[in-house]
Amino acid sequence: MHHCMMRTALLAGTVLGFVAAGPVAAQQPTPTATPSAAPAAPPGFSPMDKSNPSASQQDTNLKPHPTPPIATAVDKIPVDKLKLPAGFKAEIWSHGHPGGRTMVEGPKGTIFMGTRVIGRVYAITNKDGKREAKVLLQGLTQPNGLAMKDGSLYVFAINKVFRYDNIEDKLDNPGEPVELTAKFNLPDTIHHNWKYVAFGPDNKLYVQVGSNCNICEINPGVHGQIRRYDADGSNMEIMARGIRNTVGFDWHPQTKELWFNDNGRDWAGNAGPEDELNRIPKGQEGANFGFPYCHANGIADPDVKRPNPCAGVVLPAALLGPHAAGLGLKFYTGSMFPKNYQNVAFIARHGSWNREKKFGYDVVIARPQSNGTAKIEPFMTGLLDDQKNEFYGRPSYLLQMSDGSLLVSDETNGAIYRISYQPPQKTSRAH
Amino acid sequence: MFLSQLPLPPAFGPAVALLLLAAMPASSAAEMPLSERIAQCAGCHGEDGNSQLEKIPSLAGQPEFFVLNQLFLMREGVRKIEAMMPFVKDLKDDDLSGLSKHFGSLAPKASGEAVDPAQLQRGAELVQARRCGSCHLPTLAGQEQAPRIAKQRIDYLIYALKAFRDGTRSGAETLMSASVAGMSDADFVALAHYAASR
Repeated sequence: MHHCMMRTALLAGTVLGFVAAGPVAAQQPTPTATPSAAPAAPPGFSPMDKSNPSASQQDTNLKPHPTPPIATAVDKIPVDKLKLPAGFKAEIWSHGHPGGRTMVEGPKGTIFMGTRVIGRVYAITNKDGKREAKVLLQGLTQPNGLAMKDGSLYVFAINKVFRYDNIEDKLDNPGEPVELTAKFNLPDTIHHNWKYVAFGPDNKLYVQVGSNCNICEINPGVHGQIRRYDADGSNMEIMARGIRNTVGFDWHPQTKELWFNDNGRDWAGNAGPEDELNRIPKGQEGANFGFPYCHANGIADPDVKRPNPCAGVVLPAALLGPHAAGLGLKFYTGSMFPKNYQNVAFIARHGSWNREKKFGYDVVIARPQSNGTAKIEPFMTGLLDDQKNEFYGRPSYLLQMSDGSLLVSDETNGAIYRISYQPPQKTSRAH
Repeated sequence: MFLSQLPLPPAFGPAVALLLLAAMPASSAAEMPLSERIAQCAGCHGEDGNSQLEKIPSLAGQPEFFVLNQLFLMREGVRKIEAMMPFVKDLKDDDLSGLSKHFGSLAPKASGEAVDPAQLQRGAELVQARRCGSCHLPTLAGQEQAPRIAKQRIDYLIYALKAFRDGTRSGAETLMSASVAGMSDADFVALAHYAASR
């Protein structure tokens, strides 16, 4: 196993078109050629999915969980099920925003929420100590990517980019946005291309471009990347590649290195390959993280093969569990939580679908270690009933409030939980 | 997934649309009893939820979540179907639930389009190879967000599959784009005949 790390600062132009008409097209089946032949042989059921579920020995009727378009009534939101370490408390902070996922905060305190299939962007404001959620935008195609800069809200839907200037002054009528779609020139593929975006400490806008498949050959110049741009969509650079799909990243507050989730492939077994928590080490911007050939801590893909699949691949800082689906990732820098949570990453695990025994549906913490790896510990649990193999909610994204409390969105219930901390009452020690 | 994404299927031409619009009392759009809404749907989707009109999908026996979700997405403009807008724009969440329960309770019936037996074997192979049953169930009766495709209209299935492949249909689980990737029009014909025959 090669653990060497590639040092490449790739510009997209250097590799664009590299694989586009090559291996992908060559591996397409010719479905109409022999109508009486046996069913199309594995591996792969389409050019965009080379997996072989019969080899994975999983229940072949596993399927993604739908998101209800109607929010859970407030008295049915499972806040009482949430379990946290001593001293932490969860409460319902807002509700009534079905499908709400990503969260960003405006300078005037408005929380904006992105969604996927539901197509809405919500604005949540404070009124008399209560939250009011309204539909700010609707009819978009999976507007999951939100970012805030200088009072402007950036909205990334699938293949569409909009900027709403001074948005907090026009919550009742956001008006026409500035369209930046052409400037960002993102690929026009759909699968795994709902966006996660965030501004980095370098004031650049970092944008996810997923692999447009479960498992397939991808063009590394187009798909499976984290890119960064100037805020207007110019000066694109590839910061990481060989990523299946990252939908959450953040920068370590001290090292300023980018840490990101990468969700592992489906239909290769209930045990994984496990999802990854990755770090782009300083000086290795543009490095390769292994997809589609090398997964987790160096597992060769069973369906898409090449010699030395893990050569030159940056291996994960930590594993996040099989099919766990880490979404939101936030390093904690607030003053409310105990000192040992400083610079620790909170990760919302949305929970599995391609796994017979459900896994995740929680919030974990990743404690960075001095050697560049991280240790994963549980933090918020209770939304998964192991006995019944049922889930009650899906933690999605995280936001640190100015008072140091932590917001956790629950996509399934259309709610946001607020996690706060109060030191346990000191019991008076005798003598 | 049903109900076309493209502006107007040929059969849902101006004549049909105008007829329905004319039949809808203008003042009652916002507040309308469920029974009247159901009667509106019947004009195109069939009295018993089984469509007799070209490229208009049957709704009988569709999973409740599927109908609720798609009506929601049409109301919100995620799935933009001009012909449906007059009927969905004023729907309340309770209407969505009522309509989805109604259609879920109806018995699906094949449309009467001629099923070509020569397509069935290829169709069955494609259903197997593309793992349609993983979401749509092995019976193709559908579940949750995945629609019933068994006994659906052949012309509608071909139309919808092309829309998924060609990227003109939004509001679906994005896995669907991987599921139809690389398929030919001839594949869709075989798939549609097979599903309709189930």
